[in-house]
Amino acid sequence: MPPIAQYVFNGVVTGGILALPAVAFSLLWRLLRFPNFAVSTYLTVGAYVALMLNQGARAPIELAWLGALAVTGAVALAVDRIAFRPMRSRRPFSLAIASIGVAFVLENLVRFVWGNDFRSFDVPVTRATSIAGIRVGRDQLLILGVAVAMMALAQAFLLRTRLGIAMRATADNPLLAAVKGVPTERVIAVATLGGGALAGGAGVFLGLDASIDPLMGGGLIISVFAAAILGGVGSAPGALAGALIVGIVEEVGTLVVPPTYKTAIGFTIILAVLLVRPTGLAGARA
Amino acid sequence: MIAYLTAIATLVGVRALLTLGLNVQWGLAGLVNLGAVAFFAVGAYTSALLTVGGTPLIFAWPAGIGLAAAAAAGLAMVALRLREDYLAIVTLGFGEVLRLFLLNEAWLTRGANGVTAIPRPLHAHFAARYDVFYLVLVLAAVAFVYAALERVRRSPFGRVLRAIREDETVAAVAGKPVFRFKVQAFALGAAVAGLAGILFAHYLAYIEPNMFLPQESLFVWLALILGGSGNNRGALLGSAVLLGLLEGSRFAKDVIPFLTGVRLAAAQQMLVGVVLVVLMIRRPEGLLPEKPGSD
Amino acid sequence: MTTMTRRELLKASGAAGLVIGAPAVLSAQSKEPIPIGTLCPLTGAGGSYGPDMQRAVVAVVERINKAGGIHGRPIQLFHEDDQTNAEAGVRAARKLIDVNRVVAIVSTWASAVTLAVRPLCVEAKVFLIGVSGADTVTQGEHKGYVARTQPNTNLQGRMYAKFAVSKKEWKRVAYLALQTPYARSFGDAFTGILKTAGVTITDDLIYEDKKPSYRSEVTRILATNPDMIMLEGYTPDSVVMAKDIYKAGYKGAILAPSFAINAKFIEGVGAEVAEGIWNMDRAPLYDSPAYKEFSAAVPRTDQSPYAPQAWDQMSIVALALAAGRGEVSGTVIKDQLRAVANPPGTVVYSYAEGAKLLGEGKKVNYEGASGSCDFDAIGDILSAPFSVQQVRRGKSELVQIINP
Repeated sequence: MPPIAQYVFNGVVTGGILALPAVAFSLLWRLLRFPNFAVSTYLTVGAYVALMLNQGARAPIELAWLGALAVTGAVALAVDRIAFRPMRSRRPFSLAIASIGVAFVLENLVRFVWGNDFRSFDVPVTRATSIAGIRVGRDQLLILGVAVAMMALAQAFLLRTRLGIAMRATADNPLLAAVKGVPTERVIAVATLGGGALAGGAGVFLGLDASIDPLMGGGLIISVFAAAILGGVGSAPGALAGALIVGIVEEVGTLVVPPTYKTAIGFTIILAVLLVRPTGLAGARA
Repeated sequence: MIAYLTAIATLVGVRALLTLGLNVQWGLAGLVNLGAVAFFAVGAYTSALLTVGGTPLIFAWPAGIGLAAAAAAGLAMVALRLREDYLAIVTLGFGEVLRLFLLNEAWLTRGANGVTAIPRPLHAHFAARYDVFYLVLVLAAVAFVYAALERVRRSPFGRVLRAIREDETVAAVAGKPVFRFKVQAFALGAAVAGLAGILFAHYLAYIEPNMFLPQESLFVWLALILGGSGNNRGALLGSAVLLGLLEGSRFAKDVIPFLTGVRLAAAQQMLVGVVLVVLMIRRPEGLLPEKPGSD
Repeated sequence: MTTMTRRELLKASGAAGLVIGAPAVLSAQSKEPIPIGTLCPLTGAGGSYGPDMQRAVVAVVERINKAGGIHGRPIQLFHEDDQTNAEAGVRAARKLIDVNRVVAIVSTWASAVTLAVRPLCVEAKVFLIGVSGADTVTQGEHKGYVARTQPNTNLQGRMYAKFAVSKKEWKRVAYLALQTPYARSFGDAFTGILKTAGVTITDDLIYEDKKPSYRSEVTRILATNPDMIMLEGYTPDSVVMAKDIYKAGYKGAILAPSFAINAKFIEGVGAEVAEGIWNMDRAPLYDSPAYKEFSAAVPRTDQSPYAPQAWDQMSIVALALAAGRGEVSGTVIKDQLRAVANPPGTVVYSYAEGAKLLGEGKKVNYEGASGSCDFDAIGDILSAPFSVQQVRRGKSELVQIINP
């Protein structure tokens, strides 16, 4: 039996990757008032964009990652313009269903072009080293580091910049914010762009850590949802904490339950949180 | 050509049944169920495993329906107190967890290999034109369920459900045990879905977990919304139109030669997604909108 | 997904137009073609092997038809892709049986497909012969309509174990298998023999298909400190698994089936990860005249043992039909199979030789490209040699042959 620490470490890495789309999902939910199922598919889009650049254009993975951030952000913006903007005043449920449709289109677009096979980036496969009895991969540390940096940037943006503050204001009380002259559509556009970029970047990390296939993002939707709800919808630090907890519980859970049931763990977390404390850790109203 | 159309019609019938079941939950009671495929699968697997193990159809079929209803009731008791978009994700998760269960608990479900040689009802009697017999069976089931559900809709039970759908608080104030009604509606819808699953399994004589993916739930939703969410005629129309759309796009491959296999499947699924989005934006009430106050 | 199922099913039922009423047993007097189906993995996990298998069957049929066919009737082949997927296989088999009215389906590959298709064939009295290894393929009620030219997984497990035991440095072995119909029976045979020989089985884990990462599984297996991992999967999952094993820092040996460790695998993981991986599979009968004829006739993209088997399967089915009294059906194949493939009889290495002798009223014993093709009562072949290979500098090289 490997030490629990190994599972915890694996969970922290997974949680770190999960945190990016979870924050995007959570903030967008608060801002636009509906759960956007397309967010997890943005991961897939980001991974394939990077794949195209890395394998097709022979770009180094770092550049491919940047490309993924930009393109996925743009895709998210386009989706918002086309699908969600015409529905701003509708009930959340309709928007949620529309977002499922969008997720479907994106996943199958990728499948149409690249097929169902698993693919990998053109990066050397490296072996893990043992640190204090735990196997630690160089890639894993890199991913964790960059993910943390991205989180820090996002948090700084929300707290320090005018647009970030405007975003939080709009999320809290859109009518009041609009009355006070906050440019709502601009705020939404920036949030969407940023959220898409976060998710796209996470997709590249996931592709590095595991493999790339059309279902890679969609498979995480339950975990992303769990992280956001656990953290309290609308709170970025909450989503981060939620993602780490979900990641760790899912990994450690494989000691008790077969690895194939990981999604079931996320599902159970969702149920438990919704029944016991629906406002989540951060306690804000969704 | 006839064999082809018979087969399409049979599958449209099965899908229509599933859509009718979803309509009980959504159209009648306003409950979001994104995991409809789960109850479809429960019905299919229960009957398949029992009949393959020797249980006569006459016991296996009610067992399948009953288990689907029971599973739904169980889920409902836990989840129905949740808000709409939360309920959506919970039911979606449930559908996915059930599929994982089917895949992994191979000792019970035969896992990835699936259940083969599912006995076909009355096969010996109708061997020559079995496909026609089965089509008649499915159509009879659809007709029966449709009539029954229309009765339910007009019954006191149905009216209370619609009242709950419109405004839960008012219904509660009027003294109705809102929660109990919702659970019953949910279970009833699941029972119908279970019946659809049973007919599906015995038609194909082979089922495996990957036939019950979460996207199947989505297709049922699309059929319902397309046809006109909230009413049974819409459910039937939506199923026919959806399958027609999907079948028709298959012939695209004759015109556009590189569209085969995975590409074709992806293109069809993309089309479904696009239609869903367009519907939600332009015409969320569907083709046959429910007339307000209709009885 | 279900809608694809339905659509394909519909397409399958209607595709060839109306063929209603032609019974599977065709009259001996007519010059009507004899319909036979191939159901190979042209896409999916087995996609590297299907095309060669299909080509082998086509080559045999071309020869037979050029020489005048069977009882003067040409064979007409109908090809289907099972996509290495049981559900797709069932739909395709439905079409072959119901629409094309085939009397036999040859060269199936994946055990899951063969198992799913088996009941359809038995019900319709269509003969089924393939290369699937799962023990359950030939067990149970099949009334003689099923046979295979690949050793069953029990035999395979014993052969792999024989090799593993011969490697004295492998004292701690872990078994890691993809969830398939044969994973358990292979594993039990394999680990059972190792245990008897004093090897410690450190872990036994069956994993799920189509996962992008197997980190949890790998963590668990490596924690038990094996010297060697017996990895029993298909190419796509083996690629992911091998990379995860490598990334986790494992430096021990890996033994896997050659059908997983093919050129596509090596390309997928890279030469460094693939270096040193041992792989085994049934060895064809390189010296036999049948193999030589097969080699010359079939252009191949893969050196797997399946194409030679497909060649043999088609030849044996044709010989069995030729041995019948002019009636052509799956039942005739079933009845005559062992008469033409097993001793006693004059040894023949091709359909042409065998058909000539059968025409003279003599008994034949077909020996093929893949082996001596002698079937027992339930349709299994009696024994087979195995080849052991190792990946060296990006290519799998033959190291030794293990005899039963």
